[in-house]
Amino acid sequence: MKVKINEDWLATIIAFVLLILAMVNAINPAWVKF
Amino acid sequence: MTTSAVKQEKAAGSGTVNFLVGLVIVVALAFLARWLKGLVYGVEDLFGLGIPGKVLEFPIWAALVGLIANYVLKAVKVFEYAKSGFRTELFLKIGLVLLGAGISFKVIVTAAAGAIIQGIIMVASVYMFSWWLGGKFGLPDTLRAVMSTAVSICGVSAAIAAAGSVLAKKEEITYVTALVIITALPLMVIAPLIAGAMNMPEPVAGAWFGGNVDTTAAVVGAGTIYGETAQKIASIVKQTQNVLIGVVAFLLALYFTTVVEGKKEKPSAAIIWQRFPKFVLGFIVASLIFTFGWIASDPSSAIKGMKDWAFCLAFVCMGLELEVSGFKKMGWAPVIVYLIVTVFNTVLALGVSWLIFGWLFPASL
Repeated sequence: MKVKINEDWLATIIAFVLLILAMVNAINPAWVKF
Repeated sequence: MTTSAVKQEKAAGSGTVNFLVGLVIVVALAFLARWLKGLVYGVEDLFGLGIPGKVLEFPIWAALVGLIANYVLKAVKVFEYAKSGFRTELFLKIGLVLLGAGISFKVIVTAAAGAIIQGIIMVASVYMFSWWLGGKFGLPDTLRAVMSTAVSICGVSAAIAAAGSVLAKKEEITYVTALVIITALPLMVIAPLIAGAMNMPEPVAGAWFGGNVDTTAAVVGAGTIYGETAQKIASIVKQTQNVLIGVVAFLLALYFTTVVEGKKEKPSAAIIWQRFPKFVLGFIVASLIFTFGWIASDPSSAIKGMKDWAFCLAFVCMGLELEVSGFKKMGWAPVIVYLIVTVFNTVLALGVSWLIFGWLFPASL
């Protein structure tokens, strides 16, 4: 079965995964320094 | 084109490998844009023209690199193969939710109050002016509807939503999308320059960009170029305006089915939720998490870095997605209409944003 996800929800899920990883210090700010 | 040819074309450009190739190209171009920005950022006087390097912020480099890559990839016939990885809206929405994680909920509520008033004035005035002018120039009703929604609300996604409601032709959507990007890219650079020349306070400038620049990516770009507060206010104002997409899509569907097509059945109001930009909910939840103090307000945090990367990827894609081939088919009348309405939109938004964010809600921001 192919699951199709709305782009808005997909963006929100990706952003929250990144947010949670940053909140638990799993992402070093130096790795993503712009 | 036959059905099998269409299937073959789809198969050639929409697989996982195509997406990954496109994504790698976008990421590589974002690194290039960041490198170019770093190269000139500290320069006091660029090319002896008195322009400091720091005015050339990363949205300008990212869009420029995207535009050049757009031309090169089409010339070497790689564009179609990789284009499923060029996802302006996806990267932009990720960046906006992450941006929410740095904005106090009180700022959102205050700015959104002003943005709702501004949005209603702007959307209603610009939509009606564009619809009227399009009629004077003899544009078809479907093109007028798509164009008016795009110019009055938020460019590409509004154009697609309106097209669904009025059953517009595919080339009309492509055409309006190209118009939106062609006008938004220069506005993204020019609007902050004008705001700077007028010494515009950042909240007013942000509200102006949010009300006047047609596509959300360019709004965020203009805000980023002007300053951090401008970026936040511009994003809030634009997202508030974007929420109106569903309402306009519903009203358009109602008008076209009952008045234009003369049918008795009415479209469902469920379209208002279907077209609602759900990532705005993510933006609000992220802001609440920040407001509760669960996220440290550190300007060098990983969240800020990821937000800038997401925006940079979106700006690269904006340059990559520019498509001008549809212009020849439609002629110049829609271009003239669009440009006149853009000027009207820009001037009106300037007055309205000064009035609302400079006078009605000035101190709270």
